[in-house]
Amino acid sequence: MTMNRRSFLKRSAAASAVIGAPSLLKAQPAEYVFGASLPLTGPFATAGQLVAPAFAMAQRLINEEGGIGGVPIRFLTEDSGYVPQNALANYQRALATEGEALVAYFGDSTGFMKLVAPELRGDQARLMGSTSFASELANPETNPYQFLAGPSYEDQFDILLQNIANEGGSSVAFIYSNTEFGRDPIAHGKARAEELGLKVVLEESTKAQGADIPTHVTKLAQSGAEYCLLQGYVTGVWPQLIGGARQFGLPTKFMGTFWGMEKIIADRVTAEAGPFLEGYQGVMPYRYFYDREGAPRYETFAEMSKEMFAGTPLETYMPTWTIQTMCAIEIVVRALRDTAEKDLPLTADNAAESLAAIRDWDMGGYFGGPISLEGNKIGTGRVYTYGAESGLFTPSSDWFTV
Amino acid sequence: MGQFIQFALNGLLAGTIYSLIAVGIVSVYKATRVVNFAHGYLIMFGAYFYYTFAVLLPGLEWAPGWLAKWEPSWLLAARAEAEMFSPRATVLDWLSNLPRIVLGILGSILACAVLGRVIERALMRPMIGQSAFAMIMITVGLVSVLSGAKGLIWTADAAFVPHIAPNAPIRFELFGSMVFLFGADLVNAAIAVILFSGIVLWVRYSRGGVAIRATAEDQQTAYSMGISVPAVFGHAWVLAATTGAIAGAILATRNGVSPSLGLFGFSVLAIVLMGGLDSYVGVFIAALAVGVLEAMAQWQLGGEWAEVVPYIAVLVVILIRPHGLLGQKEVERI
Amino acid sequence: MINGNLKASYAADERILDNPYRRGFVFGAAALAAALPFVANDYIILVAAQMGIMLIAVIGLNVVIGYTGLLSLGHAAFIAIGAYAVPLLHRLFAAWGLPEGVMPLLAIPLAVAVAALVGLVVGLPSLRVKGLYLAVATLSANFIVIFLIELDAMAPFTGGFNGINTPEANILGWRLDSQREMFALIAGLGFATILLVQNLFRTRVGRAFIAIRERDYSAEVLGISLLRYKLLSFAVSAACCGLAGALFAYFYARILPEQFELALSLQLVAALIVGGMGRTMGPVFGVVIIVMVPELLKYSFGAIAGGSADVAALRAPVQEIVFGALIILFLMFEPLGIAQIVDRWLRSLNRWPFARG
Repeated sequence: MTMNRRSFLKRSAAASAVIGAPSLLKAQPAEYVFGASLPLTGPFATAGQLVAPAFAMAQRLINEEGGIGGVPIRFLTEDSGYVPQNALANYQRALATEGEALVAYFGDSTGFMKLVAPELRGDQARLMGSTSFASELANPETNPYQFLAGPSYEDQFDILLQNIANEGGSSVAFIYSNTEFGRDPIAHGKARAEELGLKVVLEESTKAQGADIPTHVTKLAQSGAEYCLLQGYVTGVWPQLIGGARQFGLPTKFMGTFWGMEKIIADRVTAEAGPFLEGYQGVMPYRYFYDREGAPRYETFAEMSKEMFAGTPLETYMPTWTIQTMCAIEIVVRALRDTAEKDLPLTADNAAESLAAIRDWDMGGYFGGPISLEGNKIGTGRVYTYGAESGLFTPSSDWFTV
Repeated sequence: MGQFIQFALNGLLAGTIYSLIAVGIVSVYKATRVVNFAHGYLIMFGAYFYYTFAVLLPGLEWAPGWLAKWEPSWLLAARAEAEMFSPRATVLDWLSNLPRIVLGILGSILACAVLGRVIERALMRPMIGQSAFAMIMITVGLVSVLSGAKGLIWTADAAFVPHIAPNAPIRFELFGSMVFLFGADLVNAAIAVILFSGIVLWVRYSRGGVAIRATAEDQQTAYSMGISVPAVFGHAWVLAATTGAIAGAILATRNGVSPSLGLFGFSVLAIVLMGGLDSYVGVFIAALAVGVLEAMAQWQLGGEWAEVVPYIAVLVVILIRPHGLLGQKEVERI
Repeated sequence: MINGNLKASYAADERILDNPYRRGFVFGAAALAAALPFVANDYIILVAAQMGIMLIAVIGLNVVIGYTGLLSLGHAAFIAIGAYAVPLLHRLFAAWGLPEGVMPLLAIPLAVAVAALVGLVVGLPSLRVKGLYLAVATLSANFIVIFLIELDAMAPFTGGFNGINTPEANILGWRLDSQREMFALIAGLGFATILLVQNLFRTRVGRAFIAIRERDYSAEVLGISLLRYKLLSFAVSAACCGLAGALFAYFYARILPEQFELALSLQLVAALIVGGMGRTMGPVFGVVIIVMVPELLKYSFGAIAGGSADVAALRAPVQEIVFGALIILFLMFEPLGIAQIVDRWLRSLNRWPFARG
């Protein structure tokens, strides 16, 4: 038995707690804290600024519903600038200042989630959702505390490639940003395309922002690909690539994954540069906000948005990025509530166990049907097509389950 | 072969833009012996100014309608006939954007000139006579200040700014494979080359240019010959800022407006050192060479290789020729 | 009242802590660092450990920029090399079957040695080019090193873009599995580095560096081999950065290539300029400022914003502006840095009430 300083400190702390507190019962915190790092500045600032309102709404909604076991929750949002190191510092700061009241954390990037994963041990661990759909994170064996509120990027590529194969396509190009986010599904996608008999004629990596559009477009033109999958962009680059290709009259069909499927961005592009996103397709795990039939949860959000965000574009429309964050928050809250109902302390281990046990849950509108968190992700999604005239993404496939 | 020509052309077109950025660094160096590490961020400001004057300003409520979209009836009629994405439609679209393009470029040049002037007056002039190290490190500090200021002024990012010239596609067959070029790129390259040669001629033959060269040679002597050295400093910075504004506007149309434009400055710095800090011709050659090498790397090795090409090239060149391709060797006396 | 520092022997003249203020400061700082793990909360420990790691790197940078007068804007590359060496060496040692308890004892010196070797290579251009050319050459080296780490072909070793998980330090059975314990190691090595580097400048080698800084050709005339000493200077400074990198790797559970980009190099240079170049205490003051300013901003913005995302979004730009403004203002108004301000202050304290400044 080694008695190192740490265990010594722990024991003395425990001893002083016994002396100081007459009861051994652990006091429940007055409120639970949900920490979050968002890219409010930096390359993906637009996304961060659209996600931030979700926290205000979630805080209100969850507290109105009685918080977690009667204890209200509070959000603590900090800026990361999309730098993993900053987000890690934010997380460690939140751990140090909030202690056990911090019950969950939201990460802002694939990089942060990977950086923090090995730090999540013992009392340093918290249940952690994020904006990322990186495949590596959906692994209960190695990362029990992290989960995806949807399908991984690899799954999303599977869905797109399957859809291309169903449509009878034969050649496909991958254009991705030279970041972890961009590169995540590429190797898997290549293997998958091969299985489906699709030829990968171009794999092109670009800068995440400020990419040299003419060079990439000429390269795509030279490759003669029928379909082009775009990955790893949020607001920039992908619309310009499509614009460049359309000006050339390339017949290539473009497809995107979750972060390239936001109506606000597509509408803005259409307004600024013309209707060239017509026919742009992509995979989306959720229903769009305007598709509210039989979605009681979306109705609730709509009412709250009208009141909370009056006078902003969010008044009538909730971006998919906000929906994703709301979905992740709801999953965390469900896991914590399940844990609290079992009268267990809200430790990361207990919460992760409850999270992994979620099965056939009707979330009230986010997805096509009831969902299960198998493998710490929700492997479902469908392909949508953008109409420049209507400004809507409309479903062009059934729900795929992967 | 056709593909080779395609990428060589891409590279040359990109190279001319690099040369337009580089000309600002060289001009400031020639006049003041300061290498401006923040030049890329001046260019980023140029891009954001262009975005402000060509997109944000015409979009305001009180802005006249023709500024945002100039649509006289003959234009609308012609536009209705033209097919979408056809060259004809592209030119017509460009025409209706023309008022805001002109406003954007003029506004960007003016705003950048003011910015360059302010930097020179506030930061550079008090440092005249101080060590080159201190002045260079001030420009390094300026990188942070400008990048932070950008974050405070422009929070949202822009997707599209109007092209300076009609962006009609140009396609032709060469050696059995298609070559694709963008019309706007050709015009951009032409603008860059004309400006570059104009500045070289100006520095060579005009009074102001001679003053710059004299100051570069020896500040004390220039002073005693009646040249106002502070004015020369000012001119050099304004020159750098205005060329930077145009380069920024061009980059904004090519690469989109984003903070990452600032990083161009570092790769162009590598190009400048490769060509030789005080040689316009050397820098022009280096800019084209790096442009072509980048395009080739992009073609054969992939995007991530293209990004390090300038840095590898400059290391190789200065190991062999420590003062760049055509740079002047400094004579040191003990 | 003290009128001066009386030195009665050469030994006294040669002492490092040659006046009571210095002694007070150094012993005080040592006592504070020693007490910190027992009293401070987790967050203070985190910040202090970050400072310690950065301090070691800035001390290294001071050797090259402050003492030898060679401008480098690429020292983050050496930190990266030190950091990546640790997990790779551990993997190698594990294959050899070495016990875990001795791994860090070998890995840290080897990581330092590897960084020093790379320092020699990067230092090569310093023989041919000076000043600005060297700054750009080192900046290029930084880009190239990060590029190589990220390269797909290197991914089996470095983890490429995804980064790599780093091992826990286990020194002869003492597992440093908390940040508190790591801080003890960092603080100890930090003090050792300051002492070693300070001592270096009492030797022939250190004086040769200073001679090169003052005028390299004159130094050569005096018989100082520029080749040898410039490379040595680069190697020493890269070694310090390698040590900082190794500690960085042990401190964090995972490292990503983007942590070692140009921004870090610029931060190191900024810390040096603010603290004072070519002064022993310069890096210490500089690192405290460069690490504390963002923390203070974070704290005050937290107080003002109270969780509002709109205000929080302003913090990063303001921090950048403050960071740049610090560099500019110090260069314009106090090029010798905080070390000089402190000196002046101590001097006037010494001579009070007779003279000021």
